[in-house]
Amino acid sequence: MSTPPNKVTVASVVLLAAVSGCYSGLGGGGGDGGEQADGESTAADGTAGADAGADTGLDEFECDADAVAPELPLRRLSKTQYESTLADLVRWALPTDADAILTEIDPLLATVPDDARKALAGETHGGFRRLDQTVHQSHVNASYDVALTLARELVATEPRRTTVVGTCATDADTGNDAACLEDFITRFGARVMRRPLEPDELPLFRDVFDGDGAAQGMDPEGLIDVITLMLVSPQFLYFVEHGDAAVEGTTDRFWLGGHEIASRLSYHFWQTTPDDALLEAAASGALLTDLGYAAQVDRLIADPRTEVTFGEFYREWLWLDDVAPMDGLIGTPLFDAVRGDFEPGPETTANMVAEVVDMARWYTFTSGGAFEELFLTDRSFARTEDVASIYGVPPWQGGEPPVIDDPARVGLLTRAALVATGGSNTRPIMKGVFIRKGLLCESVPPPPNNAAAMPPELSDEMTTREVVEEITEQEGSACAGCHSTFINALGFATENFDSLGRSRTEQTLFDAQGNVVGARPVDTTSIPQIVTGDMRPSSGAADVAGLMLESNKPQACLARNLVRFTMARPEDELGDGCALQDVATQLVDGVPLVEVLRAVALRPEFRQRRFE
Amino acid sequence: MTTPNKPLLARRQFLHGIGGFTLALPVLRSLMPRDTWAGDPPFAANPRFVAFATEHGGVWDEFMFPGAATLTDEQSYAARTVRRGDIALAVDGNTARISPVLSGAADVLTPALAAKLNVMRGLDHPFYIGHHSGGHLGNYAENDGNGADGQYMQAFPRPTIDQTMAYSPSFYPDLSTILERSLVVGNRISWGWSSPESGTGSIQELPPVFSSLELFNRVFVPQDDVITNPRPPVVDRVLDQYRALRQSDRRLSTADRQRIDDHLERLDELQRRLAVVVSCGDVPVPTANSTDEWGSSFAYDPAAQRRFWQLFNDVIAAAFVCGTSRIAVLRVTDNFSDFQGDWHQSVAHEALTPDGGAQNTLWTAHQRFFEDVMLDLARKLDIDEGDGVTMLDNTLMMWSQESGLHTHESISSPVVTFGSAAGEIATGQYLDYRNLDDDGMAGWGDGSSQQLHPGLCYNQWLGNVLSVMGVPASEYESGEHGGYGEVFIGDGRQQFYPSAVFDAAGDMLPWLASS
Repeated sequence: MSTPPNKVTVASVVLLAAVSGCYSGLGGGGGDGGEQADGESTAADGTAGADAGADTGLDEFECDADAVAPELPLRRLSKTQYESTLADLVRWALPTDADAILTEIDPLLATVPDDARKALAGETHGGFRRLDQTVHQSHVNASYDVALTLARELVATEPRRTTVVGTCATDADTGNDAACLEDFITRFGARVMRRPLEPDELPLFRDVFDGDGAAQGMDPEGLIDVITLMLVSPQFLYFVEHGDAAVEGTTDRFWLGGHEIASRLSYHFWQTTPDDALLEAAASGALLTDLGYAAQVDRLIADPRTEVTFGEFYREWLWLDDVAPMDGLIGTPLFDAVRGDFEPGPETTANMVAEVVDMARWYTFTSGGAFEELFLTDRSFARTEDVASIYGVPPWQGGEPPVIDDPARVGLLTRAALVATGGSNTRPIMKGVFIRKGLLCESVPPPPNNAAAMPPELSDEMTTREVVEEITEQEGSACAGCHSTFINALGFATENFDSLGRSRTEQTLFDAQGNVVGARPVDTTSIPQIVTGDMRPSSGAADVAGLMLESNKPQACLARNLVRFTMARPEDELGDGCALQDVATQLVDGVPLVEVLRAVALRPEFRQRRFE
Repeated sequence: MTTPNKPLLARRQFLHGIGGFTLALPVLRSLMPRDTWAGDPPFAANPRFVAFATEHGGVWDEFMFPGAATLTDEQSYAARTVRRGDIALAVDGNTARISPVLSGAADVLTPALAAKLNVMRGLDHPFYIGHHSGGHLGNYAENDGNGADGQYMQAFPRPTIDQTMAYSPSFYPDLSTILERSLVVGNRISWGWSSPESGTGSIQELPPVFSSLELFNRVFVPQDDVITNPRPPVVDRVLDQYRALRQSDRRLSTADRQRIDDHLERLDELQRRLAVVVSCGDVPVPTANSTDEWGSSFAYDPAAQRRFWQLFNDVIAAAFVCGTSRIAVLRVTDNFSDFQGDWHQSVAHEALTPDGGAQNTLWTAHQRFFEDVMLDLARKLDIDEGDGVTMLDNTLMMWSQESGLHTHESISSPVVTFGSAAGEIATGQYLDYRNLDDDGMAGWGDGSSQQLHPGLCYNQWLGNVLSVMGVPASEYESGEHGGYGEVFIGDGRQQFYPSAVFDAAGDMLPWLASS
């Protein structure tokens, strides 16, 4: 562990860098690092921007075929993967009693720590749960308790032993016991380990069953020990990878073996253990051929489980777990006045989130859409009346989604989940930060110490935008450097939606008791500077979305997130440069999203591992 | 898991929890290994540690602290004059009061209990940490990064003191009854090493528990789960499996092997835990669970919040009594107020608003926390362990707040304690370590009447905690100065902290040590 230097000079350097950070351009994940745009294009209103319209998104990445990303060491199953794997195992071993057994172990599964969304270093927002690789004592304790209980359940009765182990386990013939045990260990072990047992494993488990001579016949206690040991083995809880043949021209990179690839594929797309077809493809060697591998990728993507997995991807990428409760302030005078006749329920937040996830899933898996279609959609995917009423459309019943008849409601940026706060006030600063960090993958320097102590309050004289400008855009202030140029402008673009996501042209002004005291028109114009130095103005969300697409930065950002999610680790600028460039290029070129998902899995990095 | 039940002893007291269980308390001395009682100093008994951490702070001077007249003694220390006085308890009808926040029912906050309390001020994080949860127990990296100092510190994570204790052989010389080395309630309060026994690997957050029933099940084994098994647990075979992989000649990276080492340490701990003889095996499973309180109005229902946290207090007290754990840390993020709205923005961040409206909401909420949670646990632990020494006497319970007088500013965050840590700490004191001669912070907080003065370093206090818990300085001091971990002085603050402050950081704070 390193320790901080006890010198003020270091902090001074950091602070100066932070304050000046926004003047010279934003850095971090977006990677533009203040890079100046070099194109010449014309804004929507015909205004030529300084260095406007630069194609910077793809320039972020540099492909060096010899560069290799640091490997994530001995990945463990995520909690979701662990639970799904156990469920599939029980259903495979004992289909008739599976539900009862899974109910029995459910309280123990609840003691497995939840995975946290792991953001990049230095970031407090965003991140994916599958990047959480911490192993706590409670992981180990809980997995042992789960294994032991599950093992007891699987062999608790004679009928269960007959199904799980075989009739040989419960018949009167003791002469077949040895073969019976060997068959069970081989068959059950292969399913648990996700590969055939190694030569030394069969005697190991036979020895465990024997229990220093304690086992008599097909002793259930011996079976419990065998199953328990399997279910807490490193081969079950982790992705144990040894690799196979060396990658040509390298000494530390190896192609994964067939079963290792099967696990990577299955857990990436389905969050669970490989099915029979995958295991067979691994065993036959088909997975080690390009054609056989591609065929399995296609099969996995076509399975509904992949859609669920990528629903989780979109949910986490777009920070949708951070959407605030919409009904928390019902009953307070000011909020009640703001909401008027609209009464959000306890499910409204979940419904808003589901709408965005469904939208992303529909364009990815149903319509065959490209990123631009998703980003600029004018369709509603709201399945419930509360959210649909915000858009003024009927609830979506499946099939062709209804068109939102509101020219202001353009694309992803204007979805209720992304603009609603659940409070009385909108939060343009946070909307701007989300776009910068979440959709453009840029890092925003921290504010000066204690700058956040004075949050913008709802005013009875000014719009929220005017309040924010007054607090954060005073000329010459430390705040203005970032807020006036890179944060606020993005958030102001959607100020034509209120704190519950409803469209508006003016902001009603209230006093603290919720009495209407006036109204002022909302202003969504800004100079968003998607690319540093691009001074083209925007009239609102549609222009901002257009400028974003033109910059290719959201596509590059999605590429980063896809690589992050696929490899379950932060992307490495050099080692993942080729993958990032490849994926971002496909997104910019309008390749359907589902094809992009396929392309990520077809990258050679997905089938290789580095050993240091 | 095989769990022999040790017969309960004859001399008992009863802990009446609200969770539906009544715990017969054996005399703890009898449960403890003889050598821990009969051994040489520093400890006559196994000390226990409890930390409550609450959000925001921002409670004004006149509400949080005893009156200045209480401070009757002074001395020169670390280039300033520091002050102390005896806690005075005023009783008005049914209410006993040390300060407006530190008040409660007179039949609970008795003079005897008040004499076991300390109030400390003038312990600073000498940099701008902003919103944080790691600062309470020493992992300064865990802050919201909403300021350059805090963001800088994010690069330097370290374990919190509870985990330093939990894996110190000095704190736990005997683990034979310990089922959980530490109880962690609420998120983002406790951090430790991925290989905690060896103090290696990466720093990671301890997973929180929100269910009092789950916590109960960890420190007591429900009778339904006790199964007699003639075969020994297979955990030793599990260890063999991981060792075999670790040592095999199959291709693995160095980092892969480190991960296996991490897991092996956890398996060692599991094996140790499985061998524990549970002392209070006949405790009935509680009928109530904290998470039952999580209804739609929980956020603004202080009565429900009181029940939620008191259920944890029950389990903690029972675990301490039965000797199945000796550490509990709790991050309390509930507001203890019926305020329905945006607490963060409308109350906490408005704490300095001169009209005092938000402050009134704030300090009364802190009072409810003190009475409903901290005082409740103090009362539950104040039971005789023998010879007139109570469980509370053998405990150090601390309450720290995220900020001091100004929200976001961790200058002089209040620390309130109960218990003498098995006789190591002198109690019944109001201790003020601020340098009142230094007015350099005048004007902070937009000219608020709540004037800040620089104090001593909070890490000195954290080092003191570890010291009185029996952890030697060699296990936690790492910088050129004493105290817990390394000190970092934020930009523009060096003039408030002369070298004498750091030179003293390894000492016991003035008047804190029992004579």
